[in-house]
Amino acid sequence: MTAQLVEEAREGLRQFPPALAQEFESALEAVQPILEPDELAEWLRDGLEIARHSLRSWEASSEYFRASGPVLEQITYDRMREWCAVGVDLMETSPALSGALFRASPAVLPHLSVPQANDWASQGKSLYKGTWKSGSLSAQYFDVSPQILPHLPLSQMRLLVDLIDSLASHSYELASACLGMAPGVLSQLDRADRAPFLEFGGIVAHTAWVDARVYFERGPGALRQVGEEQRPRFLSLAGQVAMQVGRLGHPYFIESAQAMSEVEKDIHEGLLELAEQLAQHSGDAAMEFLKSSPRVAQRLGIDDIARWQEFGLQILQQSRDGGEAFFRLESARGEEVMEALSSRVDLDRVSELIRMYCKALTGVDVGVKASEELTAKGVGWVDESSPTTEGTTIYLPENVERYPTKEENFSVYKVFATHQAGRLEFGSFEYQSQLDPSLFPSPQNGTQNGHGNGVAPAAVEGQEGEIHTDMELFFDQFEDRRLAHDLFTIVEDTRIDTIVKREYAGVRRAFSRLQQAAIDRRRPVEGMPARQAMVENLLRASLDEIGRIRWPNELAEEMRTPLRILNRIRNDGATVQDSAAATALLYEWLSQIPNVELDSEDWSDFEQEMNADPDGGEDSDMMPGSGSSGLEESFMPFMPGSEERPYDSPDPVDFRGDFKPELVQLLMKLKGETGTGDAPPIPLTKEQLQELLEKSVEISINELMDMDLAESSGMFLDNLLKEVNQIQGERQEGQQAMGDDSTGEDDGAELPVEAASFYYDEWDFRAADYKPRWCRVQEQRGESGTSNYYTETLHEHTQLVQETRKQFEMLRPEMFRKMKRLTDGEDYDLDAVIEWYTEKIAGATSETKLFYRRNKVDRDVAVAFLLDVSASTDEEIQKHHDQRQDDQFDDDPRKYLSWWAQRRAEAARHPGKRIIDLEKEATVLLIEALETIGDKYGVYGFSGYGRDNVEFFVYKDMDEPFGDRIKERIDKIAPVRSTRMGPAIRHCIWKLQNTDAKVKILMLLSDGRPQDHGYGRDRTEKEYAIHDTKMALTEARREGMVPFALTVDRAGHDYLKQMCQDMAYEVVADIESLPRRLPALYRRLTG
Amino acid sequence: MTTATEAITEYRSWAVEEFRAEEEPYYVPVSDEIEVFEAAWNSKIPVLLKGPTGCGKTRFVEYMAYHLNRPLAVVRDGKTEIEAETNLPLVTVACHEDLTASDLVGRYLLEGNETVWIDGPLTRAVKAGAICYLDEVVEARKDTTVLIHPLTDHRRILPVEKKSQLLQARDGFLLVISFNPGYQSALKDLKQSTRQRFVAVEFDYPPRETEAEIVQHESGCDYDVALNLAKMAEKIRNLREHGLAEGASTRLLIYAGRMIAEGVAPRRACQVAIVWPLTDDGEVQRSIEEVVSSIFED
Repeated sequence: MTAQLVEEAREGLRQFPPALAQEFESALEAVQPILEPDELAEWLRDGLEIARHSLRSWEASSEYFRASGPVLEQITYDRMREWCAVGVDLMETSPALSGALFRASPAVLPHLSVPQANDWASQGKSLYKGTWKSGSLSAQYFDVSPQILPHLPLSQMRLLVDLIDSLASHSYELASACLGMAPGVLSQLDRADRAPFLEFGGIVAHTAWVDARVYFERGPGALRQVGEEQRPRFLSLAGQVAMQVGRLGHPYFIESAQAMSEVEKDIHEGLLELAEQLAQHSGDAAMEFLKSSPRVAQRLGIDDIARWQEFGLQILQQSRDGGEAFFRLESARGEEVMEALSSRVDLDRVSELIRMYCKALTGVDVGVKASEELTAKGVGWVDESSPTTEGTTIYLPENVERYPTKEENFSVYKVFATHQAGRLEFGSFEYQSQLDPSLFPSPQNGTQNGHGNGVAPAAVEGQEGEIHTDMELFFDQFEDRRLAHDLFTIVEDTRIDTIVKREYAGVRRAFSRLQQAAIDRRRPVEGMPARQAMVENLLRASLDEIGRIRWPNELAEEMRTPLRILNRIRNDGATVQDSAAATALLYEWLSQIPNVELDSEDWSDFEQEMNADPDGGEDSDMMPGSGSSGLEESFMPFMPGSEERPYDSPDPVDFRGDFKPELVQLLMKLKGETGTGDAPPIPLTKEQLQELLEKSVEISINELMDMDLAESSGMFLDNLLKEVNQIQGERQEGQQAMGDDSTGEDDGAELPVEAASFYYDEWDFRAADYKPRWCRVQEQRGESGTSNYYTETLHEHTQLVQETRKQFEMLRPEMFRKMKRLTDGEDYDLDAVIEWYTEKIAGATSETKLFYRRNKVDRDVAVAFLLDVSASTDEEIQKHHDQRQDDQFDDDPRKYLSWWAQRRAEAARHPGKRIIDLEKEATVLLIEALETIGDKYGVYGFSGYGRDNVEFFVYKDMDEPFGDRIKERIDKIAPVRSTRMGPAIRHCIWKLQNTDAKVKILMLLSDGRPQDHGYGRDRTEKEYAIHDTKMALTEARREGMVPFALTVDRAGHDYLKQMCQDMAYEVVADIESLPRRLPALYRRLTG
Repeated sequence: MTTATEAITEYRSWAVEEFRAEEEPYYVPVSDEIEVFEAAWNSKIPVLLKGPTGCGKTRFVEYMAYHLNRPLAVVRDGKTEIEAETNLPLVTVACHEDLTASDLVGRYLLEGNETVWIDGPLTRAVKAGAICYLDEVVEARKDTTVLIHPLTDHRRILPVEKKSQLLQARDGFLLVISFNPGYQSALKDLKQSTRQRFVAVEFDYPPRETEAEIVQHESGCDYDVALNLAKMAEKIRNLREHGLAEGASTRLLIYAGRMIAEGVAPRRACQVAIVWPLTDDGEVQRSIEEVVSSIFED
């Protein structure tokens, strides 16, 4: 019977392509052993039915047959029927889908139970929209299901399907690509993250479907940057935000995830919680907050971040834009709050303060800079985190964040600075070989094998004109320069610290705290070889910690002498000469101590009666070789036969920083500021310098880099010479500049001047706050052309020039003004007296204000004249004429005629002038007028592109005398780029601030509204630029200046009204009248 | 002491030319300024005192006025017999930018139906043979130089223009002006023709120990405190021209010393008596406060 059925089935299949039959045969082979006969019959019937269902259903049937075998290996036949019923149902929708389902079945079944089949299928079905493309997408669903289901439970499959479905409504290609990626993507994700990932993906698909592919590609990677536990939370936040912000949702996700990777993982939870709070108010703010978190976290701990966020949240509640700018770190308030909360102290915030502090202490002009700047110069200093000085500038670490409060951290800076300033104030670099110490016996007589302090410098310098620094000569005496240098450092630092603590009692506490901290960090002495241990102990003693000295008891006597020597330097009146003498004594002593392992069990705290003995006993005590010359022998018993070990320098003490007296003296010598004050700077050959450098132990070149000595010291040398030349160059430049001022006719070529950068805040009216340091203004001198232009312009306007001059000259007599009717004054005002007398006779009581006073009004005016040289000034003015209307003349025919006549004359002479040409002409005329009256003035131009490139041209600076150079520069005034007014105005304000005058005027001449790249939310927005410009003008007024805006843009009224509000402005409708109008306006303004 | 432009009534109630110090003003000479001044007074050469504010110029004039005696007959030595004819009267005028010649010389005032001539402080000093001290003279209007010139050369004459009179100064009269070169702008420099009529005594803040002594005496604080104050002032003065127009004056140190003597904590005393009066610039204030806190423990 079975065979018959099979035969029938074969018969039935014959009407289909032979491939089906083949599939059937192989399937039959597989299932026959498993199925009962009646089951087999049913199976055959089902297969046939499927095949016969519709036109292409044979393919599905073929898949059915193929799947049957593997499926039956997993489930019972009954189950399989149940399963297949689902596929059969799907036939109604599309045989192709049905086929896909059968095809996937064997692989899916391990992950699904039979009752779930329906759900699984119906999800696939939901993708099918009756079109060919949707069909293939749906089929793809079944095809990838086996790879997806291991990662995603069916219950969550819905999320993916919805996502794909949503994408499909935009692009099937995209949907299909994403579906294809899905298994790979899901496998990269942690189990718990998968559903949230898809949920957010759904939102992305919804709000910004084009980003979906990127999301699938980069999302998992991005997500991995977020702390494991926090990922679902982060995704749901991103989703919540994306719902609010639409297309920005996805970029926010990527960027904020990236940002979080830069933050310690353990605060991710806290950050997210804060972001979630923000998201309730503004999604943008929440994500900006996360994006800013790395920078914020650098400064603040999580608790303080919360406080910072709370502050921003308050702003956010008042103003969305304000809050968002706050979290974008584009608001001055945000920075302030952060600064207030952070305990870190940044050098750039306090450098000016410290500079003045050090200047006060030392009385010389010291600079304060970050240590990095010194190390970057490559002249011998290498540690960028420790304080140091090279004689003219004090270098400090970039920031200090050592203690929990700002005050404490600042006090660290203060100690650093005080110690370095102390080196300058108390003369650490002023060692002179020919001076005698005051507290120590001059060791000259005690010289053995070349040691000693008395090398006559003159003799040495006499040879071949070589120069040496005194410090170098000093170190030259010692065989072991390193040891000598270490000892000198300890002694000199002890001296400085002692004086500082004596002189500046107020910093004592902070000093002691750092000393304590320094000593706590030191490596144990025990185990160090003898000489090294002794040096280490000396250093400890120098930190005021006698109690922390550890030394073998048996050798106490050997330690006592050096300590006594060191202690002597603490006495009042000790100089650097004493330090040198003490160093020589210590060296003498220590060089006799073999640097061998101390084989002693008896390391103990070293108790010394030294505090009770400030004078350190007799001098003879300190003299090596006198009395205790048998030192070496007495030492020997304790270190039997052990080997001499190489000597290592003690660890540096952080608050004392680098001490390089030799190099400093060298630098000073090279710069011509000889510390010894004797010789003028001697030109040094490269070879001599190189030799000098190679000898210097401070530049431990070999430790620094893997170059051979000659090469690396050559590099130092180059840097050093560069540094020195630079300083000399500056000096020469300064002299030259002075010469310019005094003679005013130096015809030497101007030095090319690099653009100097200035930073200014920009006002964001939405946030009602400044964006800190937002714009960079690059100041540069205007190019020079020829002065012909100037002369020609004057010639062209001869009459106007004379007129203006006359008008301006008339301003002068106004300088004396008689003030009448005062109760007191210089003399009687005759009119008032007569009046008073008449009234008195008439019996009327009258006022007795009978005096006058001549008030001498010194004309003390400074004006900064700011020209708009944006590209739009390139326009010919013809266009403006076409727009001209008659009503400008107030129906006054004379005005019209004069305009017409003037215009005709102009047109005949110069066809097609541009706005810039008229600006230039007006400038020429104004300069001519200003020269008459003697006001201080500057002429500037501005343009630029973007916030970090605001170009500011100086045609004539405030204090520059007028001359040919100025004329030449005016010739080259030319249109450049955009119009970012705010920063240019602010820079002008700065210029005016540095000018001494009673009346300060800022005159702005423009040809249109302010606009620039990024000067506003988008290209079309005008509000932002206007508000910023307005704020800049207001700032000018706050500074007591008179801002005045002048525009030749006929549409200027709209925005000028807004920009200037209650400030004066004028629209020069007839641009050609500008050269005439400008001086007139100026006269009115200052008259 | 009074100034010319204060309320007019003060002229009546205060005999300007009769003001003289009753007790010896405290003054510690720094160098030979006393001898120089005496010599100048003896030879009737006017004196120009140069120096920063609060360094003791006014006090010096007071001190000299107290010690100098008007020569009665032929006695030339002013130092002896102090009790005989008492010390010199001292007329001090603090000059300001609206101070005119008539403020110094005098003017007619309306009183009821008539005008009354009132001598100005300079006229009074000339008549009384007093020392007339014009403090911060460059501040005054330029027309005052018209008066100063004839008074300061051999003529010793004060022209009273409105009364068409010339006044010959009485013996003992000496014009002393003070001038702070650092403080004024270039516009307010003293003209050469004026400068060259004076002998000039240059003042600067006293050296640390002397200043400490002065501060201790004037304020009543401990010497250690005074020494610290003087040290601090030295440091602050390093900031002159670098954020500070003027260094901390001895006067301010004395104020601080008094506050400390009254029991105000030293750092606080320095803040209110020195830092805040000196400058309004927050940054500079901070710097100075750091100097203060380095020197004084709290």
